[in-house]
This record gives sequence, structure tokens and C-alpha cells, in this order.
Amino acid sequence: MEILNLEGAEDTPKIILDKNNGIFEISGRSLPEDSAEFYRPILEWLGKYGASPNPKTSFVFKLEYFNTASSKLILDILSKLEDIPGMSVMWYYNEDDEDMQEAGEEFSELVEIPFEFKTY
Amino acid sequence: MSEEILKALTQLFAIITKQDGGVTENERDYIIRFFQQELDKDSVKEYVDLYDQFVGYNVEDNGEVKVEKKLTSVKDSVKTLAICKKINKTLTQKQKVIVLIKILELVASDKNLAFQRMEIIDTISNVFNIGKDEFKLIEAFVLTEDFASLDFSDLLVVNSEPIIPNPQLKHIFTENLNGTILFMKVDSVDLYFVKYIGKDDLILNGFIVKYNHVYLFSNGSTIKGPKSAPLYYSDLIVNFQADFKANKLSFNAKALEYKFKNGGIGLRNVNISEGPGKLIGIMGASGAGKTTLLNVLAGIESPTDGEVLINGINIHKEKDKIQGVIGYVSQDDLLIEELTVYQNLYYNAKLCFKDLNEAELDKRVIEVLSSLGLEQRKDLKVGSVLDKTISGGQRKRLNIALELIREPAVMFVDEPTSGLSSRDSENVIDLLKELSLKGKLIFVVIHQPSSDIYKMFDKMFIMDTGGYPIFYGNPVEAVTYFKKATHQVDSERGQCGVCGNVNPEQIFNIIEAKVVDEYGQFTNKRKVNPQQWNELFTEKFKLDKTEDIKEQPPKNLKIPSKLKQILIFTTRDFLSKISNKQYLIINLLEAPLLAFLLAFVIRYKNVTEGGAYVYRFNENIPAFILIAIVVALFMGLTVSAEEIIKDRKILKREAFLNLSRTSYLCSKLSILFFLSAIQTLSFVLLGNYILEIDSMTFSYWLALFSISCFANVLGLNVSSAFNSAVTVYIIIPLLLIPQMVLSGLLFSFDKLNNMISTKGKVPIIADLMASRWAYEAIAVYHYKNNPYQASFYTLEKETAVADFKEAYWLPQVLEKITFSQNNYKSTDDSVKREVALSLDLIKNELAGEKDFMAGNKLDLDKVLSMEGFNDEVAGKLRSQLEALEKFYLEKFSKAESLKERFIALKESKFDFKLNDFKDKYFNESLSDLVRNVNAKDRIIEYENRLLKQSDPVYTDPVKPASFLDYRTHFFAPVKHMFGVLYDTFYFNIIVIWLMSLILYFALYFEVFKKIIEIFSK
Repeated sequence: MEILNLEGAEDTPKIILDKNNGIFEISGRSLPEDSAEFYRPILEWLGKYGASPNPKTSFVFKLEYFNTASSKLILDILSKLEDIPGMSVMWYYNEDDEDMQEAGEEFSELVEIPFEFKTY
Repeated sequence: MSEEILKALTQLFAIITKQDGGVTENERDYIIRFFQQELDKDSVKEYVDLYDQFVGYNVEDNGEVKVEKKLTSVKDSVKTLAICKKINKTLTQKQKVIVLIKILELVASDKNLAFQRMEIIDTISNVFNIGKDEFKLIEAFVLTEDFASLDFSDLLVVNSEPIIPNPQLKHIFTENLNGTILFMKVDSVDLYFVKYIGKDDLILNGFIVKYNHVYLFSNGSTIKGPKSAPLYYSDLIVNFQADFKANKLSFNAKALEYKFKNGGIGLRNVNISEGPGKLIGIMGASGAGKTTLLNVLAGIESPTDGEVLINGINIHKEKDKIQGVIGYVSQDDLLIEELTVYQNLYYNAKLCFKDLNEAELDKRVIEVLSSLGLEQRKDLKVGSVLDKTISGGQRKRLNIALELIREPAVMFVDEPTSGLSSRDSENVIDLLKELSLKGKLIFVVIHQPSSDIYKMFDKMFIMDTGGYPIFYGNPVEAVTYFKKATHQVDSERGQCGVCGNVNPEQIFNIIEAKVVDEYGQFTNKRKVNPQQWNELFTEKFKLDKTEDIKEQPPKNLKIPSKLKQILIFTTRDFLSKISNKQYLIINLLEAPLLAFLLAFVIRYKNVTEGGAYVYRFNENIPAFILIAIVVALFMGLTVSAEEIIKDRKILKREAFLNLSRTSYLCSKLSILFFLSAIQTLSFVLLGNYILEIDSMTFSYWLALFSISCFANVLGLNVSSAFNSAVTVYIIIPLLLIPQMVLSGLLFSFDKLNNMISTKGKVPIIADLMASRWAYEAIAVYHYKNNPYQASFYTLEKETAVADFKEAYWLPQVLEKITFSQNNYKSTDDSVKREVALSLDLIKNELAGEKDFMAGNKLDLDKVLSMEGFNDEVAGKLRSQLEALEKFYLEKFSKAESLKERFIALKESKFDFKLNDFKDKYFNESLSDLVRNVNAKDRIIEYENRLLKQSDPVYTDPVKPASFLDYRTHFFAPVKHMFGVLYDTFYFNIIVIWLMSLILYFALYFEVFKKIIEIFSK
């Protein structure tokens, strides 16, 4: 499977999805103008990955900020991940960022994937 | 709304208002108003507190300098998502659209439409799965005050400007409206919303509309301005629907006259002409003939003169052509009280549309219910008028729904608002108005309408006492017309200039104004009498005639086949019966309770015989059979006697559907028969068990079931013939007592009034009683076929016959011979006559012994006459009879010994003890009864025959006089008909069913009802 690699910018997160090396990561800030359009390729990629996933997948979220529209798409991504066996989520947050920690906890309640919380 | 959802919403409101500068007082007020709408006073505070807590209202900053956040916190974003997900799981799409509108209104309340807030709302709409375009429409509708900038095809503008510039917007012009009313259709959920931007006090369904406030414009809503014409829901939805077509319909009533049976005149020269889509009111003083007019127009009563044409079809003469076109909602309640709202409508629909499948039917019913605002009530039982579960207004609406569901093109509604609250009345008329706007023509008899209701009519037909038409035209003009006619001041004004109210009472005050006498008291004399009003009417009014349309009137009635109707009727009836718990329990327990009571009381054995109860010696068995029959009759009658009376009104309505009477009756009968089967079975099982009547269950049940079914049909006859339940219950004894008296047990048939009794035969009048057939059937079968008697019956019959012949019959015949021999030479005329009679008797009696006499070569006809009889003949006969005596003696002893041998064989080979067997299966009293052992004379002379009085059950009936002669003595073991002998039991059962069949035909043709009508004339 090809590697999906998006460089981060001021408004968009950095994204690496690499099946062979087992790297799945979204990091940075997410407030794209049209979040649905921005996240569409990621959802598509995950759709394909879901058809033949690795036995274990650890998906890393290392976000500084996301806006409301992005939150909906993150939820969409999480819902996609939910269907993939052997899935777990690593939720990184800044030690001082209580909001991001709580947001992660809230997400973890909306989907049935094991969440692991880590500070950076 | 559940607490959980309300809490979620509160949180959602809080998150949104927190953004971009935080909550303002206006927004908080909006939230409080929202809570006030949804909650009671106490809870409002609780929720406001909750909201304040979420939003951080009134929280002191504690000196901390809050950094103004530019971005929505990620926590709030995810929280919003979580809440929306939760709402998605509980609320319907319609509710979600309403929630979205509430949220938009909230941010609009202080016009803080900052980016963060809108972003959250956009996401919410996204999670709610509301389409992007629709969201834009809703957003624009809620947030924009000036429609000029809008251009959506799902928006409708109502104002007093003749033309609006926006090409896409729909527009309705209305007079005298300040500002603009804006309607929006949310297509995906089929909801309409309205808001008003202007200064008038608009009334939406009785509530004042607030400025720039969004309201749900639900089914049947009406929005009225103080001076502008009311806007009806259907008026408006038509604008959103591209494919609205008017029905092709013409309704012409020409020169109708109607005379009552007593000669009074009900209608005089009534002319009405209408097209589709009209709501016509019929008003008049009580007794003016409003309902008569409605009945004639609807085709229920035929006019004495004149005709009513729908699309050129005479509705009174060509009923089959207009089947299903007319709907009639009578003043009475036509609901089946035991069924739910849904079921009432469902079964009605099922009878109207054979082509629809279950899902389609269900859809249609739900549609009609929701259009009448009854969807919430659909699973409630209708209940009786006194024991209400749904309100009077709802009942009325349901009554209308029953007609509505098949969408008749012309509807007649009799006083739909009587007894309803003003709000309910308005709802009902709103509904009718809406229907008329869909192209139906609706006539409504209306009494004391309120101003609002009055104004909703397109036309008003006013009648005066004696059936005189006195006005036909626009309702508001009626006021001016009558004012003018009586030269009143201010006669140009029909309605109040300020409030727009019309006072319909005024019309009747004018019409019925009384002359005042010199003391200022009203006299009974009217200022203008009905004739004068009518003259004025004919002078002033020209009928605006609608051309007869040549097409078939629109209809979509498709009646199912007769068999299917039976099924529908039966299911409907069955459901209504089982839903009435009291009725069901009483009916099912009645029989076993009676059986227990009866059997327990009469479980008796003569004490002197000692020991335990022995069935054989119970003296009450014959009486038990009679009471069982009476119980079966009684249960059968009472259960059916009210059936048709109860349904009468429903039948009247369903008459418009031309449903099959056979189907209806069959459904009634099948339910009643089923009930009777259960009742009689439980009675027999318990009664026979207690009395230890063994192995007779089926025969008892079959006889009792037959008699109960007979009573069912009889009861239905009574029910259809009389018009009140009380009369019917008074009639019941009249039907029951003769059945008891002439059952054969209480009074011997031989000891009845000579006028009715025939010796040796059951009197004809008793033959008319089903009870007598049932009694005989059970008694004979029970005696003949019980396991004890069954083996011996034939032998014992032989014994009994031989014994009787030899011991009673022969001596009598011999005596007659001796008498004849002694006196045949006498010259005394009276003696001669007696001899002739006695010779005749001998001949009659010996005819029965033909086989035996054949060897004798005596021509009995010849020798047993005054001419042929002599001593020689007497001697010959005597020797013959001696031989006959020997023959019978032999026969007797042969049969006896056979029986003994048979018993001995049985006792030796099987485990058989005669006495035990007899104790178990044989009843002495029953035996005494059917063998008539208590008869004083075993043989009597009657009409030149010797009549055997004893052992009727062993006596085959005498030869029938004709092919169709069925008559025999009581308890005969066999019956004859068409020259064949039948077993009494089955013969009698068939007779009972034949009687039921005859009664069924009487029921079908309503024979009893017609007879009563003839007598009442």
C-alpha cells in the first residue's frame, strides 16, 4: 500500500500513514478551511487499509489544536478505525493542555477503541 | 422531551453561547423562554441554573484575568459532538430540525452570528445529517428579517404587495396585512415553519404570533390577521405542491320537496348548485329541516319531488353509480367503543380498499390519523361516551376520519361541533375546510357557530321553520342581507370593523324577531314569517348554476369480496369483544358457573338407598336436561340480543359502502356460534362431570350447541327488529317461557288443552319449540345409547313390544271382538254404530299384524264390516289371536333368555358386573320418564285406534300419513320422513338447524322488522 504523507502547515496537521512500517500519525494543528475535503483522502486511505490491516495498529494523535469542524472528521476517522481489528489509539497531549486531554477522553467514550493517553 | 435530552440541549446551548464573547442577557432570556415552553415553573429554575453553570454565567472572575479565547476549545468541540451523537440516538429527524431552528433562533436573538458559533452550528447540522442546502435554507429563514435578499424555492412570502422581485420565492397576495408572513418548507422532513415580520397581531391557531419568531406550522394550522383573510394550512401547502388538481365534480339539487310520513312538509323548493372545493354551511332554527335537507342531499332519504344530481347522476335512483362518492358523518358517534382509535380506522379502511396491502393500509391510516392530530392517541381505546378515554373533539375527528379515509368527493357532516369546546370545534371545522381545499365538496349542518368558524364557510344555506330556504350565499353577506331586509342601521357592515368578528346569532335574532305588544312584552307572533322570508329569497336570489359534468365522479372505493368482508367483520368484532374484559369474562364464566351451581345442587340420591352418590338413582337427571337446554337458550339469546342494535349506527354509515349484509350476518353468527360452542362445552363438561353422567359429553354438547345457535339467530332477529336494548330484554321471557312450557318435561303433551293436543303425537305448537326437539334428542339418545343400554336396547325393545302386545293389546282386541259378536245383530241404531266402530278398530289394529294375518286368507276389509261380520268370523279371528298370543309369548321369552345369556357371557368373559355398569350408566328416573311408567293406562282408545301409552322409547312410530309427515309420539326412538326412518337424535338436531336456517332467512330479509313496521302503522 502506498504511503500517505502530508506535510503540516499553519492550518493543517501533519499526517503520515504507512502500513509497511506501521506508522499512523496525525499531529499539529487542524483548522482547514474545508475540513471535509481535507480529510477525505485520509478516510479513503483508511477504508482501503481496513480491507487488509496489520494484525496490530497503533494510531497516534498528537494534536495541538483542532476546530469544531475538524472534530467531526476526527470522529469520522475514529469511527473508521473502530471497524479495524487490532486497533488502538495513542492520544498525546501537552502536559499543560487539560482541554486536549479531556477532548481525548470524550472521544474515547464515543468509540470503542482502547485509548492510551500520553503527555509530551 | 426527556430530561436527558433537555440536559443535553442545555449543554449545547451553553457551548454555543459561550463562544465569541459569551452569553448576553437577550440570549439568556431566549433560553429561559425556551425552558418555560418545555417545562413547568419549578423545573425552569433548575435548568436555568444548569445552563448558567455550563455557560459560566454570573461566575465572578476571581480577579483572574481571563485571556479572551479566539478559538473554540477542543474540549467544547468534542463535547458538542458527543451531545449531538446522543441526540441522534433519541430524537427523530423532525425533532432535530426543530432543535436546529431553536439553536439558530438563539444566536439570532442577539444577532451575534460570530464565526465560532456558526461553525459549531454548521457542525451540529452536519452531525444531525441535515443536508447542506437545507441547512442554508433554514439558516436564511431564521436569521434573515428582510426577505428581499432571499431566493429559495421552498420559501413563501405572504404580503400586501402585488408583486415581489425575487423570481424563486413563492408569493401570495393578501389584502390588509401589515408586513410579511414568511413560510418555509423543510422538504426532507415535510415540515412547514412560519414567521411574521410586521406589526399586526396575527393569530396562529389561537395564539398571538410574536415578531420574527419561528413557529411550526403544523397540519391544519390557520393563521389569521385582524383584517386579512385567514390562511389555511392547505391553502399554503398547495403552493408548495406542483401537482394539485381540482376534482371534476358538479352537485345540483333541483326543486327538492320533502314530505314527512305524517304529511308535514320538511323541505320546500330547495335548489343548490355547487362545484368542487367548497365548504357549505347549512343553518336554521331548530326544526327548520336542516338534518332533513342533509339526509336528502346525501341520498339517505328520497325527496318527494325534485332530484339531486352528482355529475348528472341521480343519487336516489342510480345508487350503484355513485357508490363510494358520498360520505356521511352523522351526529351520532359511530365508533366501535371497544376498539382502539387505530383499529376503528384500520378495519374501516380495510372494508374500503381491497387492493391495498397491509403496509399500504397502515400507512394510509397513520396518514389520516396524523392529519387529524390523532396519531398520539392511536393506541387508546375509544371507550363509551360516558367512560371516555379520548376527548369529545377527538371522537368527532375520528368519526370524520372514518369517512375521510376513503376520500369521498362529496361529504355531508351533521353538526360536527355540537358538544365540543370552542377550540375543538375550530379544529374540526379547520379540518373540513382543509379537505374542501383539497377539492372536496362538503356540506355541514352547523349550529351556533363562532365568528371564526362562521367565516370559514364558503357559502351558507339558511333555512327557516317549515323547510323554507331563506338565504344561500356568502356567510358574511348573510348578516348584511338580513339587516338590510329589516331596514336596520349600519346594515352595510357584516362584521365588526375593529375585530372582524361576525355575529351569526344576529341573523337568527332578525329572522325570528317577535312582535312586541303594547305592554312591551314579546308576543308569539313573528315580525316576518317564514313564507315572507322565502318570498323575499326567491325574489332576490338567482341560482348560479353549475353545469353538470358528464364524467364519472371521482372515487376510490374498492370493496373486498364477500368472503373477505366476512373475515374483516369477524376480526373486527372479535377484537372488540376480547378487548371488553368484563364481557369476555362473564360470557366465559357464566356457563361453568351455572353448570356448577346446578349440578352441585341436584347431585342427589334418595337417602334410604344409603351410601355414596350413585348416578343411577339421581332423580334429577330429567330436570337437569331441561335446565341445561334453558341455560343454552338463555345464554344464546342474551349474548346475541344486543348485537345488531349496538351496530345499528355503524351499519348506517357502512350502508354508504354497499357492504354485503350476508357477510355482516355471517361474521356475527360465526362469532356467536364460536362463543356458544365454548359456553355449551364448558357447561356440559362440568355439569356432566359433577353429576357423573358418563360418556354423553358429545351428544349433550351437540344438542346444547345446536339449541344455543338457534337462540343466537333468534336473538339476532329480535335485535334487528326492535330499536332498543330494553325492549329486547323484555322480549326475552316471551321467547323463553313457551320454550320451557312446551319442552315436554314440565307438562305432558297428552295433558294439554284439547284444542292443541293430539293424542299419541306431539302437538304442532310444541313442534315449533326448539327446546322440545332438543329435549327429546338428549333424553332418547341418553337412554338408548348409554354404554349400559346400548347392548340391550334391541333385545329390551323386543321384550317390551311382545309384552305389551300379549298383555295389553291382545286382551283389548279380544274384548272388542266379543263386544261385536254380542251385539252385531242388535237393531238398536246406537249399538249398531258402536259395533261398526269397534269393528273398524279391530281392522285398524290388525292391519299392523299383516304378516301374521296373511296366512289366514281372510279379507279383513270385507269381514270386519257390518255386512261381513258374523260368529264364524269372530271364531276365526279368535283362534288367530290365540296363535298371535303364543307367538308373542315365545318372542318375549326368547328375547329374555337371549338377554340373560348375553349378560352371563359378558360376565364370564369380561370383567363385567351388570349392577356396577347399571349404576354407572343407567338412570332410573330417566328410564321412568322415557318409558312413561307413571302412566295410569298403558293403553287407551283414541280415534278408533288403540294407543300405547307405555314405553314410548321402545315404540316405533305408527305409519306416516304422507311422505312429509314427520309427526310421532314423544320420545319415539326413530323418526320418519320421505319414507325413511332416522335416528331421533340426529333427526332432531337437524330439525333445530333447519329452524335456525329459517330464522336466518327471516333475519336476512328483516321479516320481523317488517311485520312490526306494518303493525306500528
